[in-house]
Amino acid sequence: MKKYLAALICGFGAGVLQIVPFVKSFSCCMILPLAAFISLLLDQRATRNFGKIPMKKALLFGLFTGLFAALFGSVFELLITFITKNNDVIASFTDLQRIVQNLPLSEEIKKEVMNIFQSVREDILKNGFSILYTFSVILNNLIVNSIFGSVGGLVGAQIINSRLSNQSNGK
Amino acid sequence: MKRGYSLILFFLLLFWCLGIFVEWLTKIDEHFVFVLPYLQITYSLVCHQEKNKLLFFDGAGTLTCARCTGIYLGLLFSSLLVLVKLPKNKFHINILLFAALPIIVDVLFTTLNIYIYSKLLAFSTGLLLGSIGFFYLYAGLNNLILELKR
Repeated sequence: MKKYLAALICGFGAGVLQIVPFVKSFSCCMILPLAAFISLLLDQRATRNFGKIPMKKALLFGLFTGLFAALFGSVFELLITFITKNNDVIASFTDLQRIVQNLPLSEEIKKEVMNIFQSVREDILKNGFSILYTFSVILNNLIVNSIFGSVGGLVGAQIINSRLSNQSNGK
Repeated sequence: MKRGYSLILFFLLLFWCLGIFVEWLTKIDEHFVFVLPYLQITYSLVCHQEKNKLLFFDGAGTLTCARCTGIYLGLLFSSLLVLVKLPKNKFHINILLFAALPIIVDVLFTTLNIYIYSKLLAFSTGLLLGSIGFFYLYAGLNNLILELKR
């Protein structure tokens, strides 16, 4: 576990940035790759090993950063939803309603989609919890964060290794 | 990297990019609307999804902002290029920094209200970073495969 402490710290940071209202609006596709990159830099400092980073290690660091971000992100998201009985799904309900109404769909399909969404909305408003919502949050966080973390790890290692190559070529 | 891996990468990126345009796809097959709420949550993890920054066409919008859409389409475009011709040269790190510079300047200038946010500019800066950034991801994956084969 200590080996991946840098990934844990950066994963926690990325998970929080994805959840906290207002800060969330600044989030973009670069947060997780950046977190993975920073975790590699932090690990280099902690271990005082400034040599080339093996890509396998970079991938694992990226993956763990993503998984930690998914873990913290999901827990905070579900906890905030449970306490406040409100979240983005509730807030975007009218938007989704408008989008679905504007799309050229049959009335039957529109009704079916809105029924599913309405049941999730009612569960959250009433209990602060919905199985469908919980499942989609956990699955989404796990898949998306681990992929983006891994990509960040690989690209980050390329950047760090390329910088080292440039330094050794310059000497 | 073998062409097979490049093909897998291309299809993964293609599916990711198709997800961004799911509202547009409902015009082809209305059943796509069932995945819309789920995909909205998916893409909210990687984009702020501010309504005034989404790309709209014929009433249907993208699930990511103009800049993120540009980045992903740039990645897809380069993955297609790699399928046609494998890159031989190593990319210097400065190229990636130069590709990221327009985004940094654009974000900074629009935040400081030096000029008004433009979807076209945001999309173009994203497209540039995505298409260049792909080659670093590609090189990283290539090195990973070589390392695992050893």
